[in-house]
Amino acid sequence: MTGPGARARRPAEQLTVDELVRYGPLGRAEMLAGENLARQVSQVALVSELDAIRRCGPGTAVVLASGLALGAWAVESALRLAWERGAACLVTPAVTGPTQATAQLARRMRLPLFAVEGDSAPVALDLAAAVASPEAARARLAARCAELFAERSSVRGIVGVINTEVPGVTAALVAPDGHVLAGQSAAVRAEHQVRVGVPGPDGRGWAELVAAMSGAQSQTWAATVRLILRLARAPLATSVARERVEAVHHAERGRAALAAIFAGAAEAAARALPEEAPEIPEPVLGWRVDGRHVAVFLRTGAALDVAAATPGVVSAWQEALPDLPLVPWESGWASWWSGGEIEVDQVAAALGRALARMRPPVPLSGGVGRAAYGAGGLRESLSQAVLAAGVTVREAPGTVRSFDELGYRVMLAALSGPDLVASARVVLADLLSAPDGPVLVATLAAVLDCGGSTSQAASRLGVHRNTVLGRVERIRARGVDPDRPDQRLALHLACYALLPEL
Amino acid sequence: MTAEIGVADVPALLAGAEFYSTSAAGEGIEFAGPWLEDILAHTGPVRLVPAAELPPDTPCAAIGGMGSTTAMAELPPSGDEPVTLARSLAMAGGRRLGAVMPLNAASVNALFPVAAAAVLGLPLIDCDGMGRVFPLIHQTTYELAGLSLSPLAVVSAGHDSLLLDTGSARAEQLARSMAQAAGGWLMCGMYQTRAGRLRDAAIHGSVSRVLEVGRVLCEGGPLDRLLRGLAGAAGASVLGGGRVVEIGPSVRQAGTVYPGNPVGMVVHDLGTGRLIRLEAHNELVLALADGALVAAVPDLLCLLDRGTLRMTGTERLAAGDLVDVLRVPAAPVWHSVPGLALGGPGAFGFPLRHPGEGAR
Repeated sequence: MTGPGARARRPAEQLTVDELVRYGPLGRAEMLAGENLARQVSQVALVSELDAIRRCGPGTAVVLASGLALGAWAVESALRLAWERGAACLVTPAVTGPTQATAQLARRMRLPLFAVEGDSAPVALDLAAAVASPEAARARLAARCAELFAERSSVRGIVGVINTEVPGVTAALVAPDGHVLAGQSAAVRAEHQVRVGVPGPDGRGWAELVAAMSGAQSQTWAATVRLILRLARAPLATSVARERVEAVHHAERGRAALAAIFAGAAEAAARALPEEAPEIPEPVLGWRVDGRHVAVFLRTGAALDVAAATPGVVSAWQEALPDLPLVPWESGWASWWSGGEIEVDQVAAALGRALARMRPPVPLSGGVGRAAYGAGGLRESLSQAVLAAGVTVREAPGTVRSFDELGYRVMLAALSGPDLVASARVVLADLLSAPDGPVLVATLAAVLDCGGSTSQAASRLGVHRNTVLGRVERIRARGVDPDRPDQRLALHLACYALLPEL
Repeated sequence: MTAEIGVADVPALLAGAEFYSTSAAGEGIEFAGPWLEDILAHTGPVRLVPAAELPPDTPCAAIGGMGSTTAMAELPPSGDEPVTLARSLAMAGGRRLGAVMPLNAASVNALFPVAAAAVLGLPLIDCDGMGRVFPLIHQTTYELAGLSLSPLAVVSAGHDSLLLDTGSARAEQLARSMAQAAGGWLMCGMYQTRAGRLRDAAIHGSVSRVLEVGRVLCEGGPLDRLLRGLAGAAGASVLGGGRVVEIGPSVRQAGTVYPGNPVGMVVHDLGTGRLIRLEAHNELVLALADGALVAAVPDLLCLLDRGTLRMTGTERLAAGDLVDVLRVPAAPVWHSVPGLALGGPGAFGFPLRHPGEGAR
């Protein structure tokens, strides 16, 4: 080891106390106080008398020889002297009996304190070796990371290796839009960063691996971190490709299986035979199609390619609800809750919570069908869920509506196509041209919903009845009569077509 | 100046004796108060005279007990021991004693010489050889001045009497094994000399100072007045005060020549947030504040219980108690190089420089 007067190494090449703990000799020591681990260690001094600490330079790792095993007072005296000399850390033999108060003192001084079992001299030697050649120690770290990357199969696991193994570094995998796919989002905002592009399965840039480095910066350390990030690229790309292929494959199998189940149920119904669960897909996918179900349907407002969004939606779904299948179906995704006592309200609440928690790549809202039995019932429930989901598309993302809650209004939602909206605008043009046109349309819809009762409409809209009466007067003044039976259905439809647009 | 110590002075003498016992050796010395009062009630008061007022050739000797105060409390001295000691010493020295002085005016040894003077009808010299408690009988200023400890006359609880003529350290060793065998304690007479030689060999005014400190303590609080009083009487300064956060056996591997067990304790200073670690080996030996040595033997360290405003010690304290840590400077002779060698941190097995010692 170097003596107190030995030449200090260039700061750029120095290891920190944290590094010596993570992959150096201090990993074997008990850490009694872990403050200020980012200090760089310039040299190591094995001292056999307290006064020798007075001759140590700043950044020294002070190791007390076993001859100084004189009690807690000796450790505290050494702490004080080491602190006065700006030492990087203090290592003491455990037999010297440092106590809780000793650790408390070390924390107050922000001086890392370690206790080692047995003779402290070999620890001092190992420390000196590590401090003398930081490159060797860092190469060992990179090798260890590479080994762990190979053992992890998920993106999260691979980024996690960097966060747990590389001292003073927080890492995150970030999508081009800034969305953090895995790791610690704090890394993105940090001042000192190392960034490495990660190619997707198609070879094009897919995301970026960002590592934030805390503490004193050094070129060689940054190079080590960059090397470790590069080592993570290939395993990340492989893992992403595997996850996507698996997701698409699984989703397609699911779609085929669901279609087969429904076809089997339809056939059984046509033959008026007792319903039978189809044989092929069920055991493979582990689904239950007998018993009681409540189907749900997820969809997104924007016109999109379901197949392209499927891997993202499925992985987000599996994070929130890992036990339930999600199958691409028509213009969205289908799933179902099964169980003897499952109720629509429960399912709607659970789906609402899941949507709030999920981070899908596209905005999602959901519809819930009625409870039904068997494969045939599931098909029916899913059809209802599809209709209910149609209504939610006009509302905020994350909305969940059940078929029962909407009643026949699901019909209206299904009809509100662009043609109908355009016709409604023409039909209600006079009403819409009023300064408070949208308010009048909403009031008209409420009055029609309430069968012409202005007091009920007032309480639904949350206004005074006189306000509703006044608005109805203005509606009539614009040539719209809500009381004419032959006009009522058309008016009601027009209002419903327009309401989501307003 | 000539003074007297009578029955009425005993409570102050006891309180002062406890103060100078540096918080550990004072455990369980209360028995000696009524014991001394009883003797003084029979003999009348004892004359307390400065060494300089005695004819220089007055033969005198130091009186003190050694061993366990707990054993003394269980089997107290009968009161006849000084007579046996005086006879032994007269036999060895060829002359009858003309005065007695304390080995150390602290703990029970502040009271025993008073009893001896009373029983023998001799004046008590207002001085001592330690100014505090040290664990070994030859850790004295008498020794530093070159007085001979032996012949050492001892008498045990069972009235076994022995006269040892040997070197100081060896006398200590032999007497200690005898104390073990003879009931836990011994009353000793030693450092036979003449009053004139005490001028450079003793710490003068010790007994009066013990009485003065004792009177301050007996007068009681409030705390700040008490601390001011102790500063005036003994030069005590407060190192810090707060809660005991840790107390227990110390794993220190040192000082095997000393009786008793090492104990460590930590006081969390409420004012500054500093952690004051105290190491005790019978007596409090040193104090570190945040790892820096702030006080050490031969200076005294004492603990004042904030709740009772009485001196307290490691055996009476538990984690959570509130105490003030006081430092009392030792007599200047103890800060000399030979003084520190005999009674400094090094003598207790601590490889530390005394805080008052210049960098060597």
